[in-house]
Amino acid sequence: MLEKILLLLSLSLSVAEELCKPGVGEAYKVRFSIKTALGDQAYPWNKNEMFLFRAALAFAMRDFTNGEEFGVSDIHPCNETQRVSFWFVVTRPNTMDLVDKGTVEMAIKKSRNRINGAFLLTDKTLEFDGIYPTLAAPVSPDTPPWLIVFGVVMGAVSVGIIALLVYPLVQRKLKKNMDADDEDSDEETGVKTAENGANDGIYNSTFSDDERFTQM
Amino acid sequence: MEKDGRPNWDSPMQFVLACVSYAVGLGNVWRFPYLCQLHGGGGFLIPYLIMLLLEGLPLFYMELAIGQKMRLGSIGAWTSISPYLGGLGLASVVTSMYLCLYYNVINAWSFWYLFHSFQSVLPWAVCPINSNRTGPTEECEVATPTQYFFYRETLNISSSIEENGGIHTGQALCLVLAWAITYLFIVRGVKSTGKVVYFTATFPYLVLFIYLIRGVTLHGAINGLKYMFTPKMAELANPRAWINAATQIFFSLGLGFGSLIAFASYNQHNNNFQNQAIVVSLINSGTSIFASIVTFAIYGFKATLNYENCLDRMRLLLLNTFDLAEDAISMDSVLEWTEKLNTTYPEQFAQIADKVREGECNLEKELDTAVEGTGLAFIVYSEAIKNMPLPQLWSVLYFFMLLLLGMGSMLGNVTAIITPLRDFKIMSRMSNELFSGLVCVFCLLLGLGFTTTSGNYWFTIFNDYAATFSLLFIVLIEVIAVSYIYGIKRFEKDIEDMLGHRPNWYWKIMWAVTSPLLLIGLFIFYIINYIQGGTPTYQAWNKELGESAVTEYPAFGQVFIVLLLVSSVSCVPLTALYAFCRKRKDRASEKRPSAVSTVSV
Repeated sequence: MLEKILLLLSLSLSVAEELCKPGVGEAYKVRFSIKTALGDQAYPWNKNEMFLFRAALAFAMRDFTNGEEFGVSDIHPCNETQRVSFWFVVTRPNTMDLVDKGTVEMAIKKSRNRINGAFLLTDKTLEFDGIYPTLAAPVSPDTPPWLIVFGVVMGAVSVGIIALLVYPLVQRKLKKNMDADDEDSDEETGVKTAENGANDGIYNSTFSDDERFTQM
Repeated sequence: MEKDGRPNWDSPMQFVLACVSYAVGLGNVWRFPYLCQLHGGGGFLIPYLIMLLLEGLPLFYMELAIGQKMRLGSIGAWTSISPYLGGLGLASVVTSMYLCLYYNVINAWSFWYLFHSFQSVLPWAVCPINSNRTGPTEECEVATPTQYFFYRETLNISSSIEENGGIHTGQALCLVLAWAITYLFIVRGVKSTGKVVYFTATFPYLVLFIYLIRGVTLHGAINGLKYMFTPKMAELANPRAWINAATQIFFSLGLGFGSLIAFASYNQHNNNFQNQAIVVSLINSGTSIFASIVTFAIYGFKATLNYENCLDRMRLLLLNTFDLAEDAISMDSVLEWTEKLNTTYPEQFAQIADKVREGECNLEKELDTAVEGTGLAFIVYSEAIKNMPLPQLWSVLYFFMLLLLGMGSMLGNVTAIITPLRDFKIMSRMSNELFSGLVCVFCLLLGLGFTTTSGNYWFTIFNDYAATFSLLFIVLIEVIAVSYIYGIKRFEKDIEDMLGHRPNWYWKIMWAVTSPLLLIGLFIFYIINYIQGGTPTYQAWNKELGESAVTEYPAFGQVFIVLLLVSSVSCVPLTALYAFCRKRKDRASEKRPSAVSTVSV
């Protein structure tokens, strides 16, 4: 009995080694950059983390295939390096048939955020070689914000211009009303003042010194 | 109001601030630091200051004196000096008109960037995503996000001056706003301008000061400052350094446009413009030096950041290829590890050898990328800003400062057109506001041409050719006219009349001898340069490569350049000819006996 189990185990291990060949077939390479992402709070990479990875990937496969009961034993990693990068293959539950790359890729893409979250990493620090992250759709507001600021400034400037143009007209009107009142009130003086508008006087240029021309 | 009804500045301080606001413009921020870097850092200050004494100060003084004495805009003032020289004023007006057309487009860009700074992520910090959502847009990937934002989203630039497209509506709106604000500032003439300059002249210094503090505390700023201030005295032997110093002083002070004459014409007769001229020139040069300290601190920060990013990329490349632990290579040890890995794993290293060579990290090379003009202001600076903590605040401050500098200069430019034209009796029948409004609308409509897809290339034509050569010509004729046609003795007397004392021997020698000789030298140099340079070229943006390529101007472009130059320069001889013909006609009609001798008053 024991020998049978040992034989099965070694068989499965050797099969796993055969299944998971870096760069060949349906294998994917994954790379963790934990220290870059977390700095001082980085956790060390060990067997437990590897177990979490296999569990997360099994979850992703289950989620994508809608119920096929993938287990931790269906994820086969190999060639682990100090970088914290390794290759892995996925086999169908209870068999040794490899799941093709396309399916694995789509499963990972679907659950990428969940896998990242499990490790406190991001798309950049947990890389699957060959699987490009789907970037978040750009948020486009209804009115671009710059237009709002533009509207405010333009409105203020227009108000300023109108104010500057209208103010002297208003002033002149008020003055006219005041002058009309004054004229009514000093009719008895009998002095006929000049009409409105000529109050400032005209500069008579006859007597100015205009000899600025160079004699040529 | 003076006896001849001409409006006045409320106080001499307003006049000084107006001159400062006009002279201190974008050139101080984006041209002087570039020249400093090009010509040996701190050593460039020597030719710069010498040229200030030989050329800048005397010419500035002279223009102020003319304006204050004649109390007319440039056309009227030069006609008063000699009827044959009215063309000088006209040439100034034409050149100012060209300047107004394209200068406000820069303000429109500043507005665009300013408005786009009110976002949580600055739009030039990240690339927009392409339609498949797999990565950034192609063009943005080959270029940098800041370049993409400037060339694609701000300008929507075409690939050459021949290709044209529609108007960029955002740009057009910003240009309308820029002209609306210009109108708001000049609508009441010097009354409104005088109040505005209190703000436009002083606020930029506050922002520069804040930026100075921020700049020198940035990581890596010291590299830039060291690079700038290590004088390379060998550069002084290069004649180009001296020529560039002379040109920079000349254009920086805004001589020849007629703005200084216009501003000074609103002065009281006895205003002490001698001290004011010295003060304004010194402030202008001081601001240039101040701005280059800030610019170089920012350069140093950006260069250090790029260098460190480059090292980081190298580090990642090595880590990923050789599968080493993450903390095996630190930023400092990247270079030694490259060596080590090259020797221990040569075959594996050969695979990435190309990438390593391409991505070679060199701090000197980063610092060496000297940029000037709009490239510095809108690309390099915005790249530095996006990396600062709290980038929105710094972005708003920076573009607001650019706006103030640009608007302050626009005040002078527009006044240079309006003042001489208003001196003509026909125009003075129209109200002030209407006339200013018409000028603004006219310039706005023509300026919309710069907001088209090839607009930036036309902008470059105007920037390089509209005001450079003609100004040299104008100021040369100005100084010769004042020194030799009007006569130094008469000029002296006029100044004594205004100030109460004659100008001392320094000024007289500069006006009569040094400045004309310098200007003639510059003039000849420009002509030789133009002839030797062959076909004029420009930088066309190639969107596939994500960089600018040097392209020759097509035939119509070259014709346009010639037209620009000829249209302003030819005003002088044509007006002289016109005055000559009129005088001959007058003399001929005087000789004819008049039937009725009227006593005309």
